[in-house]
Amino acid sequence: MPALPLEMVAPLLATGASTRMPNTEPARFKPGDAVIARNIHPVNHTRLPRYVRGKRGTVRADNGTFSFNDTVAHGLGHQPQHVYSVRFSAQELWGPDASPLDSVYIDLFDRYLDPAP
Amino acid sequence: MNGVHDMGGLQGFGPIDREAQEPVFHTDWEKRVFALFFGGFAGGFYNIDMFRAEIERMPGHEYLRSSYYEHWLHAIEALLIQGGAVTHAELQARIAELQAAGRKEPH
Repeated sequence: MPALPLEMVAPLLATGASTRMPNTEPARFKPGDAVIARNIHPVNHTRLPRYVRGKRGTVRADNGTFSFNDTVAHGLGHQPQHVYSVRFSAQELWGPDASPLDSVYIDLFDRYLDPAP
Repeated sequence: MNGVHDMGGLQGFGPIDREAQEPVFHTDWEKRVFALFFGGFAGGFYNIDMFRAEIERMPGHEYLRSSYYEHWLHAIEALLIQGGAVTHAELQARIAELQAAGRKEPH
């Protein structure tokens, strides 16, 4: 059984581990694109919050490609893909009583998004 | 999964209790759970996403009434049992042993 050597403990705790992972898969979206978060209800692990499903947002940035937590959690491989910072207005998420000045930015995997019509 | 952990938009939980001088750990057992996580990870029993998924599979009522490091302990126990490091029976026997020892010692 592999063990965690004492000398590795401090570096591990200090640096953590990035899940950034190269993939040549082209980005499906670019900043400014209108997107809709998929209305999916997977029984597995997911990083797509319930309150954003089916909601319309705008891509603000492409963060690059990262290992996909949803599949890594279940031994289904890294499937690295683009992660975008997507802006959702508070009113889109919470209705007309929310402040028109507020918005939420969520980092979302490529597989969570469809182009908005 | 649509578990109780996905709390965005839920209401009725009251204000967040902010501690003025919050310690890294509130009790000694929290330190041990923290260390145990890295031991199991280095031992190849789970990755961080398997660990999170296991916490999310906790029954909702248990998740809500247990603390942050109790969530960790739940996941570590479940994953070490799944990985064959320890059996459920061994874990229960050790808990009973410690409980019996605790009853004998004055606090």
